[in-house]
Amino acid sequence: MTERVQSKDKFDFGKFFKKSKNTLKAFFSKSYNIILVVFLVILSIGVILPLFKMVSDSLVVHTRDEAAYINELWGQEVKKGQFTLMQWPTLLFNNFKDIGMSAGYSTLIFWEPLLHSMLMAITACVIAVVVGGVLAFLITRTNIPFKKFISTVFVFPYIMPSWSLAMFWENFFKNRSVPASPGIGLLQSLTGICVPEWVVYGFFPTAVVMGIHYAPFAYILIGGILRNMDANLEEAATILKASRFKIIRRITLPIVAPAMISTILLVFASSISSYTVPAFLCKTAPTYFLSLTMRSSLATGKFGEGYVMATILLLFSMIILIVNNSFTRSRKRFTTVSGKSGQISKINLRGAKWPIAIVMLVFTVFFAIVPLISFVLESMMETAGVWSTFTFKYWISKTPTINDAYLESRGISTVGILLNPTILSSFGRSFIIALCVSAICGTCGILIGYAVSKKRHSKLANFVSSLAFLPYLIPSLSFSAVFLAVIKTEAFKFLDVSTTQKEISAVIICIIVGGIKFMPFASRTGTNAMLQLSGEIEEAAIITGCPWGKRMTKILFPIQKSSFISGYLLPFISCMREYTLFVLVTSSLTLATNVMEYLTRNGATPIANGINLLIVGFVIAVNLIVNKLTGASIDKGIGG
Amino acid sequence: MPRIELINVTKRWGNFTAVDNLNMVIEDREFITLLGPSGCGKTTTLRMIAGLETPTSGKIIIGEDVVFDSEEGINVSPAKRDIGFLFQNYALWPHMTVYKNITFGLENLKWSKQDIEARALEVMKMLKIEEFRDRYPAELSGGQQQRVAIARTLAPRPKVLFMDEPLSNLDAKLRGEMRTELKRLHTDTNSTFVYVTHDQLEAMTLASRICLIEKGIMQQYDPPLTVYNKPNNLFVADFIGNPTMNFIKAKLVEVVSPKEVVLDFLGRKLLYTAGEELNLTEESDLTLGIRPEFLPIVDGGALTGTAYSTLPAGMETTIKIKIDDTILSSVVFGSIDYAVDQEITFNIVGDGIVLFDGHNRVALGSAKVL
Repeated sequence: MTERVQSKDKFDFGKFFKKSKNTLKAFFSKSYNIILVVFLVILSIGVILPLFKMVSDSLVVHTRDEAAYINELWGQEVKKGQFTLMQWPTLLFNNFKDIGMSAGYSTLIFWEPLLHSMLMAITACVIAVVVGGVLAFLITRTNIPFKKFISTVFVFPYIMPSWSLAMFWENFFKNRSVPASPGIGLLQSLTGICVPEWVVYGFFPTAVVMGIHYAPFAYILIGGILRNMDANLEEAATILKASRFKIIRRITLPIVAPAMISTILLVFASSISSYTVPAFLCKTAPTYFLSLTMRSSLATGKFGEGYVMATILLLFSMIILIVNNSFTRSRKRFTTVSGKSGQISKINLRGAKWPIAIVMLVFTVFFAIVPLISFVLESMMETAGVWSTFTFKYWISKTPTINDAYLESRGISTVGILLNPTILSSFGRSFIIALCVSAICGTCGILIGYAVSKKRHSKLANFVSSLAFLPYLIPSLSFSAVFLAVIKTEAFKFLDVSTTQKEISAVIICIIVGGIKFMPFASRTGTNAMLQLSGEIEEAAIITGCPWGKRMTKILFPIQKSSFISGYLLPFISCMREYTLFVLVTSSLTLATNVMEYLTRNGATPIANGINLLIVGFVIAVNLIVNKLTGASIDKGIGG
Repeated sequence: MPRIELINVTKRWGNFTAVDNLNMVIEDREFITLLGPSGCGKTTTLRMIAGLETPTSGKIIIGEDVVFDSEEGINVSPAKRDIGFLFQNYALWPHMTVYKNITFGLENLKWSKQDIEARALEVMKMLKIEEFRDRYPAELSGGQQQRVAIARTLAPRPKVLFMDEPLSNLDAKLRGEMRTELKRLHTDTNSTFVYVTHDQLEAMTLASRICLIEKGIMQQYDPPLTVYNKPNNLFVADFIGNPTMNFIKAKLVEVVSPKEVVLDFLGRKLLYTAGEELNLTEESDLTLGIRPEFLPIVDGGALTGTAYSTLPAGMETTIKIKIDDTILSSVVFGSIDYAVDQEITFNIVGDGIVLFDGHNRVALGSAKVL
């Protein structure tokens, strides 16, 4: 019984070759291995190579101006296209001080904006986690009324583009006492109150808007855990005579800690690099945040400087990831979902029930419903806040609504939105890009999820799944910068809209950028959905001779339909409303968001508001329709 | 007709060896159970034969066909092995009705519409699930789901049927019923069954042969009663039987004849008469294995102890007898109740007393207290 075939002492090359051939054959006979290898290649090209390019671009002299500047500053003799380390000190330790500058170049362009960005990101994290977490707790653990309404409406700010909240903030608070604001806002026109400038523009509104935008994200993640948490965990503590407060502090909070950390991770990475919200809310100080200076560097041809900043933003994300990993690894991951779970007794808020509910209601309505109303009003008033100038012309006028020779010379039509060729075609492009990105991400997400769940714990699967997750941590603007670097190369210049002057170039590069950037959620959704299916479900079909394609379409997909469709929905919505990610690789006419931003910058606020309403309304409608038809929802996409 | 042969089959995951150099032959129309504690490699073995798991090395033959050979690089897909597989959690497709679940496999085999319809009705009738035809799995009870799973597995008329703990999710009563039906099905379908379980009673009652595995190594491969009566080693003896066999350390006192020895047994002298020749030395680490039914409680028995605890189960009663510092189990028919610490006398009877030398069985024989 214990006899073993002894291997021959002599090395037999033929046998070795045959054995390797057999191993390879066996390896590639499994569909999931093929998928893993294919994605290993695709993601390496799509994620690692561009990152490498970005870092290496921070070590090259890009223009003659750059060369001249570096040579003057550091007494070097570099030429355009040469390798240099001096881009880094040029940005980081440049004490050059011109007349009228309050501090050295580096301090003004890099260190101060970095500090502001970090403080803003931290504030946004705190707001998101506190607001989202408190609401999640109130909804899942107390007897607060209006639960359904609050939980439905509360996610709107996340579905809406982050800048639309910024736009709303401006619409609402702008007033006569603030010189930079266009017209008067809702608050002043309704109540006559003029808030000071720091409420309208700058650090405070940016942090609040970012925080509120991501609060639903915290709500979905934390609420998901609270909802699925095994009731016994808390009941056991109750029986051991722990007080309610102690249970929350010692049992509930530690269990939701991982979700809070994920939220903080994303909110920090997104806020620190967000370009659009600061662009709207920092009109008075155009170099206040790092993302703003980075954009302006890249837009004004200071590529070296821009890529150094992008690399630094990337390093931030990497550090966050490492901290997060070591944190979650040193502690055990909690299995909070067990099969059997009773309904946890809800905390009775008694007399506080109604006041709390009303505060919550006002809060959600203010950030979810009032913005929509404000976009409607703004797009229907010639002078913001002046009710007598009410008009439909920005929607339906056949003639230009704004006399602006500059816009006209740039080929931007200002006729009514519903008839406007510039807006409608950009909206169409946004839609096509969102559709393609959603198809790519959703499908790849399912495939990656399938392969990873089949080969769980193998190094290859772990690597591919981390690769697919990596874009999550790369700030959108860095990502855009990476691909800007790629399309500036000779080989890919056909994708550079500023060279080709053809929008199709921008559309293609947007699909590629979006397809990679929005992969993480889709692949996570796909993996979670696949992991929920026991392997036996598929094996039962294998035994009957069902081929792979049929197993996917007839067995696996239908069972987890709503999760998988969520994997398509989230990239679609994110892509439709995205601006930061695409800003560097598009023209100002490519996407609806481009046109909108461009019009805002050039003072055509009513039309910009109209476009905003169009996008937000479309996204919310798509979300609701898909949700009704298939049961898919963005919370499934995020929470899995 | 399919005969399954495993030759030097080994499965490793990294440094962990799940199945170690397994050799076994499953004859046509046998009902084999793979038995062992959880994590012993029995499910892995089954999945390797079915083709759901790829062995690290070895060769597997089903009927005339080599379905796996690590040397030649042969690995026939499960679909082409002409087998059926019944999963522990049934693995019914939740989005298909009972009827669709059963016919899905037949469609893949490209059967004609009429044949599919006829066969589906046939198996549904066989398993008494016709009335659930249009229901979804979620609308069925555990037992009904199990029947649907069996029907689905049987529908393509597989020559070999693999079952992975198919009854472990059912309650005790249903499990008993399904056991009866599975044994009946084995005869009716005329196919080979390979059945994985950790429940020794299930293995005993169902199988024509039991393959007992521990830590990836086959311990014994024999008909149930042989495994019960002539265990190969201490592990097998201990694993099979409930209440478990009594193990008592013994020492060689005197060799009377080649087949007879006197042993020191709980401080008493015991004459052990083996059915074969013994070859013992004083250093032998001897253990006597006595099944509870070989320790009948009788008035004026040769051994005296006290009742430590009595466990009446209705049909039979298990009595734990304390003798010196050792506790022995005895089983008697009917219900009897002894007061705690009541004095009990009992005998050692029968010729199925096993003598172990370290781990490997030495002999089977009878014992008499001197």
